[in-house]
Amino acid sequence: MRRIFWLTLSASAWLALSGQSAFAHDPVFSIGPHVLYKGGIETAIETARDKSGNEKESELGLEIVYGITGDWAAGIEVPFAFKDEGTESSNGLSDIQVFTKYRFWREDSLGLQESAAVMLAVNAENGDEKTDPPLGNGATDIITGLTYGYEGLKWYRWASARYVLPGENAAGLQLGNKWLLDFVSGWRPTPPEYTKPDTVWLLELNGEFTDKAELNNNSLANSGGTEWFVSPGIFWTMRNFAIKSGIQIPIASDLNGIQDESDYRFKATFEWHL
Amino acid sequence: MKHIIFCISTFVLLWSSISFAAGTQYDLRVDGLACPFCAYGIEKKFIRTEGVESVDIDLKNGVVIVKTSEGKTFKEDQLKEVINEAGFTMHSMVQKPL
Repeated sequence: MRRIFWLTLSASAWLALSGQSAFAHDPVFSIGPHVLYKGGIETAIETARDKSGNEKESELGLEIVYGITGDWAAGIEVPFAFKDEGTESSNGLSDIQVFTKYRFWREDSLGLQESAAVMLAVNAENGDEKTDPPLGNGATDIITGLTYGYEGLKWYRWASARYVLPGENAAGLQLGNKWLLDFVSGWRPTPPEYTKPDTVWLLELNGEFTDKAELNNNSLANSGGTEWFVSPGIFWTMRNFAIKSGIQIPIASDLNGIQDESDYRFKATFEWHL
Repeated sequence: MKHIIFCISTFVLLWSSISFAAGTQYDLRVDGLACPFCAYGIEKKFIRTEGVESVDIDLKNGVVIVKTSEGKTFKEDQLKEVINEAGFTMHSMVQKPL
C-alpha cells in the first residue's frame, strides 16, 4: 500500500509540472501561446524540485524544440529524476515527454501581441515504476491545453487551462484526472532594447483539481483534491539566451484523506535559441 | 603633381561610391514586437538569407532595418513571408538605396 501511495504522490507531482515545456516567454509554472520561428531550434536545461512533507523530488530535464512553422512547434523532453523518501531514494531516467503547440490565433499591433494556442503532450511510460521510490507511473499520460497571452512592451498577462488524462499501469493503478488552471501577470520595469538584457517579473496563480486515483477500479481514499499556489517568478533574456525561474508557494489546500500538502515547488530553466 | 592627386582622389571617390552605395536598406514596420528574445527569430531568419548584410531592430517603434549587399533586393511579399515565419506581422515598408 505504501508503494501505491508513493506512486500516486510522485506521479501526481510530475504530472503537475508536465505539459509546460520551456518556451522562454511563457510563464514558469503554466503555459502560454509562445512558439518558435520557422526552422528555429530551441534547447533548454530545466531543473525542478518539489517537497511535500518528508518526500523530496528533484528533476533535471533536457529539452529540444523545433519550429515547424511560425505558429507551430514540437519538441521532446528527457527528464532525469532524483527521489528521496527519507529512508529510501532512487534516481534515473523518468518518463520522456513529447509535445506540440499550435498558435491558432494571433493579433499583432505596435509593441503588442495577443495570441492563443492549443497544446498536446504525451508522457511515455519508460520511467521505472519498480524502483523505490518509483521513477515513473508505468502508464502513458496525455495532457491537453488551451492558452491565451497578451504580451506588451510593459505588461504581460496569460490565462490557461490544461487537462491531464493519466493512463492505467500494469498493476491496475490509474491516477486521477487533473485540471490545471492558471492566471499570470508580468511586468517589465524598463523598456526593452534589442541586444540589451531584458527582465520581466511574474506573478502566477496556479490551481490544481485532481480526481481520486483508482486501483483496479476501486477509488483510493488518500488521493486527489485541490491545491492553489501563488508563484512569483522572473525571466531574464539577452538576445538568444534566457533564464527563467520561480517558486510555487501553496496558499490553499483541500486534499482527500491523509496526504502531505505541498511545501513548495521550485523551477529554473536555462534556454537558448540556436 | 596636382593633376595626379586630383585624378587619384576622383577615382577613389567614384570607386567607393560604386562599391558601397549599391545595396538597399529596408525599413520594415512590424507589429507584435514586444520582447527582444522573441525578436531574435527575425534576425535569425534574415541572416540566413543570402545577400543580407545586417539586421537591426527597434522594439519601441516596431521597426526592423535590413541592409542588403549589392544586387540583392526583396519584393514586399518576400519580406512579409519572412516576418510571418518569424511569428510577427509586417505592417508597411520603406525601401531606399544605401
